[in-house]
Formats: sequence, structure tokens, C-alpha cells
Amino acid sequence: MINPDLLALFTTLKMAALTTIILMMIGTPLAWFLANMQSRFKVIIEAIVALPLVLPPTVLGFYLLIAFSPQYLPGQLWQQATGQQLAFSFSAIVIGSVLYSMPFVVQPLQKAFEQLGEPLLEASAMLGASPIDRFFTIVLPITKASFITAASLGFAHTVGEFGVILMIGGNIPGETRVLSIALFDHVEAFDYAKAHVLAISLLIGSMILLSTIYLLNKPRKKTALRLSHDS
Amino acid sequence: MILNLDLTINFNTFDLSIKQSLNLQGITGVFGHSGSGKSTLLRTIAGLEKRINGTITLDALALNTDNTFIPPEQRQIGLVFQDSRLFPHLNVLENLKFASKRCKNRRLNVDKIINIIGLNALLHKQIDELSGGQKQRVALARAILTEPKLLLLDEPLSALDRKAKISLLKLMLNIQKELQLPMLYVSHSLDELQQVCDKLMVLSEGKVLGYGDIHQMIHQLNQTQTDDFIHQQTSLSLPVKMLNNGHGLTVLSLNENAEIYLPALESPSNHPLEQTLRCFILASDISISLNEPLNSSIVNHLLAKISAINIKDNNVLITANSYGQEFFVNISHFSQQKLALKRAQTVYLQFKAGAVRTYFY
Repeated sequence: MINPDLLALFTTLKMAALTTIILMMIGTPLAWFLANMQSRFKVIIEAIVALPLVLPPTVLGFYLLIAFSPQYLPGQLWQQATGQQLAFSFSAIVIGSVLYSMPFVVQPLQKAFEQLGEPLLEASAMLGASPIDRFFTIVLPITKASFITAASLGFAHTVGEFGVILMIGGNIPGETRVLSIALFDHVEAFDYAKAHVLAISLLIGSMILLSTIYLLNKPRKKTALRLSHDS
Repeated sequence: MILNLDLTINFNTFDLSIKQSLNLQGITGVFGHSGSGKSTLLRTIAGLEKRINGTITLDALALNTDNTFIPPEQRQIGLVFQDSRLFPHLNVLENLKFASKRCKNRRLNVDKIINIIGLNALLHKQIDELSGGQKQRVALARAILTEPKLLLLDEPLSALDRKAKISLLKLMLNIQKELQLPMLYVSHSLDELQQVCDKLMVLSEGKVLGYGDIHQMIHQLNQTQTDDFIHQQTSLSLPVKMLNNGHGLTVLSLNENAEIYLPALESPSNHPLEQTLRCFILASDISISLNEPLNSSIVNHLLAKISAINIKDNNVLITANSYGQEFFVNISHFSQQKLALKRAQTVYLQFKAGAVRTYFY
């Protein structure tokens, strides 16, 4: 039988990867919309997106648990569509992670789009580039670093998730038992040796991931020198 | 090519309201102070302003009407921005290729344009390695490589030093000639417009003050201007009689009997206009004498007849006709009284060679 901690690692990576892919697909248009939005309702949407930054994860998890249960509409619809219960499933923890990690993806992208602004997009339109063409040839390459940051932060934050998963996922091996939950189990069982292995692995893994992001975002020395020379 | 404008755009402070048909041949200038709406007009023609009421048609094609809006990328109109807007993640050649790749006709030879604009040495440079003048040359080349039907230029020279301005103005003239590409050139500098435009439209607070031949419009501004922004001047296009008379002066002919001297132009190869020269003389640089100033170091003196005298405070603007050409002269009210100048009086206009100004030497 497979080592339960390895299974938890596999579940964690699967959840984080899927969450990141979904977040990039939802977060990019949402960030674009927010960057270009001029309505006064913008602050409200921004606040909703940022909510998971300040809300205790258990609060989000509690409401999701209720929504996912078969007694309520989202859970009912899911059950009708898939024949499975949503709460305490892998799908539930992915949906929860998407909501919980949303600000880590939307905020860097929104900031990058706001900084990019209209000028270069107007210039490329005048050269015959359609909106989709402009996104892939101007926006994406220029804001590449922010996309990498957004995806990495979204991924790292999802790996580190605990409260939401505990509330809506429970602890089903191979389904919802992720590393942070496995660590909690070991501690509760006073198995500190196994807890140490998981804790140090998570620590080192997160450290490597974050260092890579900051390395990629470091301004190129050449540009920095030239800028200081100009002023 | 006919550009028909019939549009209104609401601003906070004023409405841009233009109803004008422009016959776009050569370079057409759009002049106005900042805030006159000239850049907005250009952006509207480009399709970058969407909040307009009215119609814009280019020949038979409706660019904007109440129920159609052709997006900028489909208008086949080029635009050179004041701030270049080159793509920082691409080098010079890649910026040019961005344009040529998306061009449907591909009649222009990319290498030929690179040669005309003199970009050979810059092709593999990054954008942040270029000077302001080089950036604008790349921006101009990039706009041309989309093979537009009409090229819009929005204050393309305003961030450049005089030397770079002159070289870009020459380039605009060369390209206009070479490609027969109509251009609409927006600027707040009347001098620059005077040097290259065939026609001029003047905007003020969102309204068209006038549209017509460049020299006529500039002379009209002499009379109607209400502020000190515009230098009153005589605007001329004259045939070059001799590039160098042996004493470091170029000779222009006003007619068979009258000549105008100015400091010698450079070699003809650097001179975009082989036969005629665009130049202007500021009204404050011309003085009036009642007798022919034969014993003066001032080389230019022309017999002229006063056709109008306009007095404003202590300044007098005199319009005088010499061999069929109108000249504008600023003198003090004091001098006008002293010489007892009147309409229909015959006088001599005098100005130094250096007062005949042109960008092209």
C-alpha cells in the first residue's frame, strides 16, 4: 500500500495545480475587468476579491460547507449534475481553494494591467493588431513576470491551505487529505518524527518557490543602472 | 482623398464641434493651442475616441456614424504619437516587423523604408538605448510599414531638440513625396507647420477658425490673433535662384526684378525642396524706411505699398504689398507717427539676411 504521506503530497499537488490553472483562467479576465473598470462599484468587487486575505479561513469554510451540502442549492445542483455529493469531495476543496487563493492571483495581475495602461495597446491597435492579438503580443510578454508571480503565489498559497479544507473536505485519504491536514494528524497522534518530515518539507518547498518568484521579479541590473543614469 | 468631419465630442470645459471637409493631399497641418481639441480630433479620426456624436468618412468609407464604428485596427490609418510608444519588449527591427507582419498589402519593401529613414545602424538596438529623435524615426517607420491610406502625426516633434526636429521634418517631406502618402500633422508650433504643410486647419476651443492654403492661413492669423502665442510673420514659398552667390548668401526670387537674400543653404543634397524654399520672416524682424536704404548693411530692401495699418495698444501691424506678395511688419506706434505712415503710401521694407528663417539649412 502506498505511503499515506506520499498520497497526501500527491493530493496536495493535484489540488494546487488544478486550482492554479482555474485561477489563471478566471483571474486574468477578472483582473483585466477590474483594471479597466471606472464604476464606483469597483471598490466593492475589489473588497470581495480581497476578503480571503483577512477573513479567518474557517469562516469561508463554514459558509462553503453549508452551500455545498445537499440541502442547499449549489450542493443540490452539483449532485444533480454529477450524481456525487459536493461536500467532502476533491472538487469541493478545489472550489474552496479557488476562492481562498483568488486575491493572490487577481491582485498582482490587476496591478500589472493598471501599470501597463492604454498607450502601448493603442499603439498596437494602430498597427493593425486585434484585441486578442494585442493580449498575446503586448500584454502577456510585458506583464510576464506578474503572471509568473500570480501563478506561483496562487499555487503556494493553495499548498499551505488548512482551515478551509478542514471545514469542507474533511480528511479522506486520496481525496481530501492534503499535507497540512496530514501534519495536523501526526501532531495529534504525537508522531512528531513524521510531523517533522512533513513540516520541514513544506517549509523548504515554500522557501524555494518564493525565492524563485523574487529572483524572477528582481529588476534587471542593466535597466536599473540606465534609469539612475538618466535622472 | 477627402476626409469629411461632422462631429461633436463633449468635454468638461468645452465641446469639440467640427464640421469640415478636408482635401488631404500632401501634408495638412492642424494648428491650435494646447486644449484646443486638436489631439482629440486626431484620436477620433484614428478610432481611439469612442464617445463621439456624428460622422467621419474617408472618401466613400464611413469610419464613424451613429450606428457604425470601425475599430482602429481596421481603419488602415497610421498614427505617430508624441511619445513614440515603441514596444519595450521588442528591439527596433522587431518593432518594425510587428507592423509589417500585420499589413495586408505588403507592397512596401521593409528594407527600402529602413534605408530612407536611416535605421540600418539601429535595427538590433533595444528601445531604451535610443535617443528621442531615433525613437520618433522608428515610430514613423513603424507607422508607414502598416501601409496606411492616411498617416496621422500627433505632435511628433514636441519632445525633440532642434537638430532632431529638422531631420524629422525633412524625413516627413521625403516620405510624403516618395510614397504619396497623405498626412495630417497636428502641432502647436506654427513654424514647424509652416515648413512642411500645404494646407492648414486652425482650431480654437474646439471650433474650426479657418482652413486653407498654409501661407494664407498664417497671414490670416496675423490679423485675427488675439494672444501673443503666435508670432506675426510673412510666410513664403519662393524659387531658389542661386544656392550661393559667392558671398555666403542664397538668393531667392520674389519676381523677375526683386530678390531676397538669406544665409547660404547647405549643399542641395540635404535640401528637400530643389526648386522652391519654404521660409518665413517675423513681422518684428522687418523695418520700414521712407527712402531706399542704399547705404545700409541690411541686404534686403523691397519697394512696397502699404495696404493696411492695424493699431493695437502701442504696436502697429502694417501690411504692405511688394511685387504681388504681402509682407507683415511690426513697428511701434511711435515710429508710425514719426514717419506719418498711411495707407497706399510707398515705402521700403528692410530686413537682414538672417531674418529670413528656414529649418532647412
